[in-house]
Amino acid sequence: MIRVSGLRKTYGDFAAVVDSSFEVETGEIFGVVGPNGAGKTTTLKMLAGLIEPTAGSAEVAGFDAQNAEMRHRLGFLPEESPLYQDMTPTSYLTFFADLYDVPRSVANERIAETLDRLDLEYRDRRIGDMSKGMKRKVAIARSLINDPDVLIYDEPASGLDPLTTNSVLEFTRELRDDDKTVIFSAHNLYHVESVCDRIIIMNEGRIIARGTVEAIREEYGETTYHVFSDIDLPETDPTSDGRHRAVVDSMDAVEGLQDAAAAAGGSVVDIRTHEPSLEELFLDLTGRQMAGPRTAAATAPAGGRDADTAADTAVEPEEPR
Amino acid sequence: MSFRSRLRHIWRIARWEVSLGSTSLDRRTLLAGVALLLVAGGIVGAGLALGVEGLSPTQDIYRVGIDDDSPYYDVVADDAALSPREPDREKLETGELDLLVAPAGNSGTVSLTLDGNDGEGVVEAGRLGQSTVSVAHAPTEKGTAALTTFRAAVQGYNDRLMALEPNETAAYPVSVRLQYRPQSSPTGTRGGNSSDTDAGRDDDTETESGDGANDDENGGSNEGSDGDQSTDDGTSDESTDDANLDVDDERDDPDVDDEGGSFLDGLLSGGNSQGSPAEISPPFPFSSLVLAFVFLVPMNFIIQAYGGTILNERINRRGELLLVAPIRRLDIVAGKTLPYLLAAVVAITGISLGVGGGLLSVAAVLPIALAFLASTFVGAMFARSFKELTFVTVTVSVFLTTYVFVPAIFTNVTPIALISPLTLVVMELQGEAVGLGGYVFATAPFFLGSAILFLLGVGVYREEDMFTQKAVPLKFLDAIDARLRGPKSVAIASALTIPFVFIGELLAIAALYVLPIEITVPLILVVIAAIEEVAKSIHIYAGIESDRFDRSIKTALLLGGLSGLGFFVGEKFTAIAQIVGLPELVLGQATLTPAGVTPATTLALFLGPLVLHTVTAAVSALGARKEFRWYLVAMLAATLVHAAYNFAVVSAYV
Repeated sequence: MIRVSGLRKTYGDFAAVVDSSFEVETGEIFGVVGPNGAGKTTTLKMLAGLIEPTAGSAEVAGFDAQNAEMRHRLGFLPEESPLYQDMTPTSYLTFFADLYDVPRSVANERIAETLDRLDLEYRDRRIGDMSKGMKRKVAIARSLINDPDVLIYDEPASGLDPLTTNSVLEFTRELRDDDKTVIFSAHNLYHVESVCDRIIIMNEGRIIARGTVEAIREEYGETTYHVFSDIDLPETDPTSDGRHRAVVDSMDAVEGLQDAAAAAGGSVVDIRTHEPSLEELFLDLTGRQMAGPRTAAATAPAGGRDADTAADTAVEPEEPR
Repeated sequence: MSFRSRLRHIWRIARWEVSLGSTSLDRRTLLAGVALLLVAGGIVGAGLALGVEGLSPTQDIYRVGIDDDSPYYDVVADDAALSPREPDREKLETGELDLLVAPAGNSGTVSLTLDGNDGEGVVEAGRLGQSTVSVAHAPTEKGTAALTTFRAAVQGYNDRLMALEPNETAAYPVSVRLQYRPQSSPTGTRGGNSSDTDAGRDDDTETESGDGANDDENGGSNEGSDGDQSTDDGTSDESTDDANLDVDDERDDPDVDDEGGSFLDGLLSGGNSQGSPAEISPPFPFSSLVLAFVFLVPMNFIIQAYGGTILNERINRRGELLLVAPIRRLDIVAGKTLPYLLAAVVAITGISLGVGGGLLSVAAVLPIALAFLASTFVGAMFARSFKELTFVTVTVSVFLTTYVFVPAIFTNVTPIALISPLTLVVMELQGEAVGLGGYVFATAPFFLGSAILFLLGVGVYREEDMFTQKAVPLKFLDAIDARLRGPKSVAIASALTIPFVFIGELLAIAALYVLPIEITVPLILVVIAAIEEVAKSIHIYAGIESDRFDRSIKTALLLGGLSGLGFFVGEKFTAIAQIVGLPELVLGQATLTPAGVTPATTLALFLGPLVLHTVTAAVSALGARKEFRWYLVAMLAATLVHAAYNFAVVSAYV
């Protein structure tokens, strides 16, 4: 459904996204995570056709991302979606339905159904008078007004209370059941882990890890073993309950500790394994990156675009969202 | 996307824009505004209905003691500042009266102070008909001011009486008819009054004052006619209705006296050609002023609202969702602009009808409205805040108002006035015919300039530019750069600057032509050179600064050459100026002849501008490849070369 190949975006000397490549299958919820300035939003906006890539290609629902026809198949929810305060949810959604050439009868039915699913009650209230959560639901409803195949959600639950957050996350999961393809970006890694089938982790414009959370954990995470003994050993530290603990990263080391405890007249009383969370993986991965220069020249691929094309959309370096 | 679908989207966005505008305005404010307008209108209407001519801060401030049967009573009663009271000498001394008008026989009985000297209270004696009166004023500053006002009132009263006199020659023994002629007329005179009179004297020495001769048998006409001329007591075959001094060819004269147009037009017309010399004013300037004001005032309101809605889309990325919808950027802009354009058309049409204009007036002012909107759109795309937007809209308003307003004042004086579309309105109101060439000349720069400005703004109506915060000049460079692609686009961009160059150059001519010709021509040649050099090089600088083009000498020379070529080709379109005869002016020649559009030019003169433009643009491009300071230095050098070329050609040709 989505194919991204060698996607690259530079602003003058600043490289916001460097040679990103990935594919997303139909009905998949695909997470894009990374710290601020990692290039997540720039990537999503290139997929939405809002930003023209400096190099590479992005294909969405069978269309090039810059093709206007693609937008009929896409629903986009930006991180900030300021609505028109003086409109009502109904008039706002009807307006966008018209722009997407959705017949009025279909639009009315779809608006009612979507707002029901989102549990939005005040449909004729002025948007400016609504809470942030309600506004976000209106924005989500707008992203579905054209019944798109692909949805790009950038921080859909940002700033919402836990109840509304759960509602939004649950709604996102339901979209998978509707066979929608969703690209989901969030800072809250718990949300990502609970919703996404696969993820990419971006840092400084590059994809530094990809796959399911489990696969990434397996590939990049280290399972550690917490070994508790009833005797003090050189490798252990005392614990509050009178025992002694050592943290090792292999079964060989565990066996070594068992042998050492037995030789000292004691024994190993408990062994616990610890799997790293996505957050720990994320911090580990992103903290591990070299803080080298992030310039277009330093990241330029061999055989990249010529200067004329590369400067096509050159503007002042902007902090990508 | 089909054209029909695009139109539907534009119309939908336009409707949405209207609904946004109507709902975002606080209803209470709207109601209060309407109520205020109704109250103000009601007061004015009631005043008009009751015959109140208007309020004055000096209404009845001077109390004048005067008898009801005094011949000066009407003078005092008719003047707004004077208020007739019962005559009482004691009240004059106590200050309850400011002025006392009494029969002459009573003069000298009041001791008052005049000009700081004690003395006789009789300070003024006058005659109205056969009546002689004495006028005394109170020994105060107010009393002196009252006397001055009284004098002016008497003079005005007398003038009004004279105007009512059926025997015009008796009322105005000497009659001089003013003729305002175009500055570029074959006589080559500026103002032309004396020449015309002289010409009339030479050619029509037998001409007699028709009115006096035909209508009055008491010989008044003979007194009124020029005694030096041989007259035949008014029986000349060429006697005209009102001319005492005829001119040789009235067909070429602009019709100063406006007999057409609406009531409002007649009311506003300042081209008074009859009355005492103090009452005669140049033709039509006041009307032009008011017309400009009336047409431009609603546009100022419209661009305020329009600029606000465009900037509103850029605040908090509000417009991002429209950008991601399956609509073209151009259609979004068209949809958002349409309501304001329609509002402008409605306002223009209403005003045109009000001032007695017709379709031509609407067609003439429409490009002005477009220019207002286009400039505001670009400004709103560049502004970072509403504060900056205010600065932009004020700048737009002042510049465009000046451009259309100043030349229109000289509608009957010089063809340069035709650079303003508002001049077409004035011409229509005067009943003058306007040819297609004249219409194109006046409006084409506005239409083309507006189209280019809209395209420039649409170029940055995209995610990457709309929501970034940059200084206005940098945004301007970005907007230019957004329209560039390869080196060929530099040539196209240069050609597209022609409307702005044309506007700038004509504005320079209009602003400078009042100076002595010896100063104006060299000055204009330099200004024109500077304008053209900026137009040829600013996009090269933008392209190089954004790294679209490399900074090698070879590239700079290539870009300069292409820019010069594009400008040369575009400049050929200025040949349209010949249609309306602007090049017949010396200044017109100075402006347009160096471009080589005159048919009589040789091959060398044809190729000269091409070589000039490519060389000077290349010089500027060489500076642009370094940094801004060097760009300025190089452009200054290019300007000097260009100005020297212009001067050489004009000196040889004119």
